[in-house]
Amino acid sequence: MDPRMNREIITDADRYPTLTSDGRQILKFLREHPHAPIFRNESGNRLTADDVSRVRKFEQDASRAEIGWHLGEMPRWLGEFIGKCFVEVPFYRRYGSVPSRFEDLPTITRADIGNDIAQFVPDTAPLDRLINFRTSGTTGHPLVLASHPVVAASYLTFHKRALRRFGIELNHGRGQVGVVLVGFQRECFTYASVTPTMDESGLVKLNLHPTDWRDPDDRAKYFDAIAAEVYTGDPLAFAELLNLPLQTRPRALISTSMTLLPAMRRRLEEHFECPVLDLYSMNEAGPIAVADVDAGGHTLLQHQLYIEILDETGHALPSGERGEVALTGGFNFCLPLLRYRTGDYAALRYNGQEPVLVDLEGRPPIRFRNRRGEWLNNIEVTHALRRVGVPQYTLHQYSDGRLSLRWSGASCNENQLRTPLEQLFGVGQPLELTRVDSFEGKTVQYTSEVLGAQSGI
Amino acid sequence: MEQEGPILESLTRRLAETPEEFLFEPRIGVSGHVHVAAVAGDLAKALNVPLKAGELVRFAGNDARQDRNRLAITLLFCWILFDEWFRQANCGHDAVLKLLDSESKELASQIAARKFVTDPDRREEMARVTLARLGFRPAGESLAQAQDRLTTLNSTERARVMRAARVAEERARQIREALKKKAAEESADKWTRE
Repeated sequence: MDPRMNREIITDADRYPTLTSDGRQILKFLREHPHAPIFRNESGNRLTADDVSRVRKFEQDASRAEIGWHLGEMPRWLGEFIGKCFVEVPFYRRYGSVPSRFEDLPTITRADIGNDIAQFVPDTAPLDRLINFRTSGTTGHPLVLASHPVVAASYLTFHKRALRRFGIELNHGRGQVGVVLVGFQRECFTYASVTPTMDESGLVKLNLHPTDWRDPDDRAKYFDAIAAEVYTGDPLAFAELLNLPLQTRPRALISTSMTLLPAMRRRLEEHFECPVLDLYSMNEAGPIAVADVDAGGHTLLQHQLYIEILDETGHALPSGERGEVALTGGFNFCLPLLRYRTGDYAALRYNGQEPVLVDLEGRPPIRFRNRRGEWLNNIEVTHALRRVGVPQYTLHQYSDGRLSLRWSGASCNENQLRTPLEQLFGVGQPLELTRVDSFEGKTVQYTSEVLGAQSGI
Repeated sequence: MEQEGPILESLTRRLAETPEEFLFEPRIGVSGHVHVAAVAGDLAKALNVPLKAGELVRFAGNDARQDRNRLAITLLFCWILFDEWFRQANCGHDAVLKLLDSESKELASQIAARKFVTDPDRREEMARVTLARLGFRPAGESLAQAQDRLTTLNSTERARVMRAARVAEERARQIREALKKKAAEESADKWTRE
């Protein structure tokens, strides 16, 4: 039987339950503009009127709430949250009784969630509205995560908080376009929609790859025509955006998905004449933190998300020590997290009472061996390449010590990359440099075959 | 259950007054506090039925997520059995080991350990199970009465647990089904993608 025969027929009434004539008009404008891309897909917000009220209420509560906790203390909401998890979530229920000390709670990993997501969905989560997000992660094994349209819509609460930190209050509304989600991939899910909590302003998810446009020159014309207030995307998509002769400028760029190196960030800020926010975000927990140079790292965005830094055995490390980021809490009521080990590494320091993630690296740390036989943490490579505006790169060390650097983007040349690496690894360090058009999917930035490269943090 | 044991209330009261040390987190790997194997070993010596090293391994645990409730229940059994009455009772080696191990495992799949302290029915169940597995019945009860009461407590709880398990399995199936149907990129807007 043709599998399509079983498919649910989805209409605009399902995609945009609260759509008004104004919303319909902006959708028509986005879809039918003479320079519009070829939208490959259809999607929507799925928010009912009740949902919209709920998202607005959440935003109000979140904007009033304090973020963080005092050094050596736990946030006040934590106890109740854990108790609820032990009652309502099948996976945590099997732990038995709530331990008297937080640090005695077992940790969980991506593998636990991947094993059976159903065990992490609370008994109270409504099933009729359940949706899934798929994430490939660093291992290439896809993970299915439970979510809800209200959760997806609530991301904006944290984007607004992040933007506010840089002095930006969103001011677009009805008849205007709020955001363009910019992609630059061979294949990309693309569509137009509206954001009900912003008076049905437009939302476009598009792909800069020329195959998604009738004429590549349409790209700049379309961006200028829709004049979105914010662009979001990854550094690769933004690097491509730099090549377009745009006349208009967004008020901010929000970068997610991969490391945004400082040089690239500066280039984007200079080019677009606006703040470029580096967001630490993941499907499992949504937007977690935003980079703020003045704060010395990534400052937290969620008021009900507790962050610890753990060593390999799951023990919490003291402030300032580097380890794996673990999350407890979150706003996804379909996937409450208890000590979820993210696979990302950072240290947690305090600016007064504000916790800050310092030297955040989205991948397990790898040590490289230099010519003198010393171990170098991969963070040192990141620092060494900071001056170079390369959108994305990977570094691999072979067992005999040779290095292979693969990079994409036209903004730098081989010498610019070679010099800082030679300074770091020593003169005469064998180094292969390979420029690639693009990296497919998520990539593992640092890898090594050298014995002992993965031990220690 | 042929032999008469202590009065039931002495055991349920003992459970209700479990000292904190027996409620501390079982040590599993590098986390937790109480080395349950050491407590079980001390208990066995006190009962004059020493356990060999190989028999104590099972009380170490490997994975806190799987083992912490089981070992927390083992600790509660230990607390009951440290009662003076049991020290004088000539408990059998195999029966003690089975109670600390298999019975803890069985109960752990059904109930969170703390309930055996805080819930009167569960306290009674644990006290009765302890006596029954060691061949005793509460003082003042006939064999039939003791068996009947234990069965009632057990079967009521078991029925509840089985009902809950069936409901949970059905819900898990529905969740997997619902998630298969709706990929979020086709059904919900986020301003950023990870």
